[in-house]
Amino acid sequence: MKQRISYLLICLSLIASSCGSKKNNPTDSFDRQAMLTHYADEVIRPAYSALAFSLSSLETSVNTFNNTPEEGWLTQVQTVWKESYREWMRAVAYNFGPAGEEGLRKSLVEEIGTFPASETKVDSFIQNGAWNLNDFNRDARGFLAVEYLIFGKNQSPAEIASLFAADANRRTYLLALVQDIRQRVTAVNDGWNNQNYRNEFVENDGTDSGSSTSALYNEFVRSYEAIKNFKLGLPMGKRPGQLGPEPQLVEAYYSGQTLPMMKAHLQTIEDIWRGRTRSGFDGPGFRDYLETVQGGPELITSTEAQLTALKNALNAVPETSAVSEQISGNNAPLEALYVELSKMTRFFKSDMSSLLGIAITYSSGDGD
Amino acid sequence: MPHSLRSWLTQPVGIAPLATLRVVLGAMLVFSTVRFVALGWVDDHYLCPDFHFKYYGFEWVEPLPGWAMYGVHGLLILSSLFVMLGLYYRLAAVMQFLLFTYIELIDLTYYLNHYYFVSLVCLLLIPAPANRAYSLDVRRNPALRLDKVPRWTIFIFQLQLGIVYFYAGLWKINYDWLINALPLRIWVPANDQLPLIGWLFKWHFTPWLFAWIGMLYDVTIVFWLAWSRTRVWAYLTVIIFHTLTGLMFQIGVFPLVMIGATLIFFSEQWHERLWTIGRWTVRRWTMDPPMSNVHRSNVHRPLSIVQPSIVLFFAFQLLFPWRYLLYPGNVFWTEEGYRFCFRVMLMEKAGTAAFFVKDARTGREGEVVNSDFLNAHQEKQMAMQPDMILQFAHFLKQHYEKQGVADPTVRAEVYVTLNGRPSQLLIDPQVDLTKIRDGWSHKTWITEYSYQ
Repeated sequence: MKQRISYLLICLSLIASSCGSKKNNPTDSFDRQAMLTHYADEVIRPAYSALAFSLSSLETSVNTFNNTPEEGWLTQVQTVWKESYREWMRAVAYNFGPAGEEGLRKSLVEEIGTFPASETKVDSFIQNGAWNLNDFNRDARGFLAVEYLIFGKNQSPAEIASLFAADANRRTYLLALVQDIRQRVTAVNDGWNNQNYRNEFVENDGTDSGSSTSALYNEFVRSYEAIKNFKLGLPMGKRPGQLGPEPQLVEAYYSGQTLPMMKAHLQTIEDIWRGRTRSGFDGPGFRDYLETVQGGPELITSTEAQLTALKNALNAVPETSAVSEQISGNNAPLEALYVELSKMTRFFKSDMSSLLGIAITYSSGDGD
Repeated sequence: MPHSLRSWLTQPVGIAPLATLRVVLGAMLVFSTVRFVALGWVDDHYLCPDFHFKYYGFEWVEPLPGWAMYGVHGLLILSSLFVMLGLYYRLAAVMQFLLFTYIELIDLTYYLNHYYFVSLVCLLLIPAPANRAYSLDVRRNPALRLDKVPRWTIFIFQLQLGIVYFYAGLWKINYDWLINALPLRIWVPANDQLPLIGWLFKWHFTPWLFAWIGMLYDVTIVFWLAWSRTRVWAYLTVIIFHTLTGLMFQIGVFPLVMIGATLIFFSEQWHERLWTIGRWTVRRWTMDPPMSNVHRSNVHRPLSIVQPSIVLFFAFQLLFPWRYLLYPGNVFWTEEGYRFCFRVMLMEKAGTAAFFVKDARTGREGEVVNSDFLNAHQEKQMAMQPDMILQFAHFLKQHYEKQGVADPTVRAEVYVTLNGRPSQLLIDPQVDLTKIRDGWSHKTWITEYSYQ
């Protein structure tokens, strides 16, 4: 009896496997550890070290400006801020590991990337000359609070510089904010480099929740959705209950850098998907991983088609006026962009996790 | 009932298997509840979310405030401990069933077939005389002690396990599972880093092998367990099979539950030996002084309510799973008649759901950010199950009405991928979900599934 069953089994599995092999099936399995190594060494660590380096320039330029609070040095600070923020957009999607939440400290994105900044809080901290950079007032610190200080609100560079010249608190607060950002980024950078998170990341190469693939993937999706929901949707008044557009809610409102920063952020998303490095080299990444799994090639085709549509929509948004102005004016290109962003969500979110078998929650699934 | 069947069911058999089962299940529940609390899931599952998905017909079940939710879990641990020890058994078993089932009924998101199974077994433990030997109750009151119990008190657990396995196997008999080896072709390669056996997972034909073995295993395993000549080998495969699936999938304590529960198939002699091995601990409590079976007749008395209830209980379990045949369409897609059938690990399904709320007065339509209201687990489950989508839509209507949106209508664009195929619309994206009530009838707003 047993023998007969085992015969039956072997026959059936042979039949089944010969049926299946006619289709374009994944032939060899994918080396997740190689993928993680590539992400860690060629993508993530370079992103953080470039950001840390750029922040040291920002601190230097703020020091110079504080010593000589003049318009020329302010413009310099503004330029370096834009460069640093662009670097931040390259590192913004790796909000796990050393950048994740720990105890009272929130994740790096929340600590240094909260927007919109609270003008009221920033103004009152300066007025009172007292602040705490470790409390829950995350909208009074980080990149966007610095942005508010150095770009001001409808003020000319000369006016802003004179505010700094007249107020020591303002100068001290600016420096403290920049140092705080730098310190937090340095801590994350150290976590990856010196404290061996890199090895932990590379070795944890399963697909369960808590695995590196799952952490990287989940933050990738979360970061993508943040562009659609918070960087674009919310200021456009896309949420139910909003009575109209709220253009002051865009990211990088004071510098008017919303569009270039959104482009940089989306570029990072695409780079992660492709496993693309800073220099434009495509190493083993999610796209290659998808190529080896059931249904993967079809998903790659849909994703790339949508990426093209998304980029076209992005490039159709005029660069001549700030996004915050377009939101309340002719917003047709932004509406089109929102639609394309929405269409992409399912490819990144559910289709990809399903095909790759990546766990997105810690809870137990159904047993067999 | 035919006379021969009745006499077979009431035939006195040794009580030891029942006592073992009591200990095993009590211990499992203690372990799994402690684990649940320790992982912080009471907070994550029941306290943090603003919204809970309800079971149809159990909409009245609500979570309690924080301290009380922890209290419920504490009481459950205590009850299961008492069940395990056989102390104040009947009360403890009732509490165990009620508390466990209450927790499960709070939120449909966390529905698992194995929780359903545990709930059913807890219910069966209530009438079972599992505390009448090897228990603290017997130590307290030696007069309670029984050496023999009617066979049905053990058979109901074997039947229950049989239903779980058999149906789990039966549902595997479908085209995708057997011929396409789906979803195993998705799941198997994702586990190629497993120690010792990972290499096996890289083979091209491994998913087909697992699919067929899995189906044949589930359909036939109870028979091999029931037959004394194959039992030991069958049990060995139970251990291997569940350990393997336990390593591959995130399925919590389920493998342990099955490995423990299937011990009920072993003979009374085997279980008596098991208890003898541990006798230096249990004997002094329970075995001395030797008692005669004076109270045996107690359990033999035809129990007017219990026995017909048990017949109904099993009839329900055997028939209810077939309700899916009454619905049109693909049951994997519509999930009409999907739950409470022991369809375990059968499909890889995931969705992305975008909800749009429209203000009837201003005509403004806004898109909801689901994670404002749901945790990741809730969102994931909701995004592929029509009845949960409907519940969430109704919640959104209420929520935004309170926020000042006038007479909100809610529609949803839901894209679902099934077994790795390109995602397609699950429901009609134009239909106003607030106008639809959930019920037993077919949900006409679910789109038809097309194989691509």
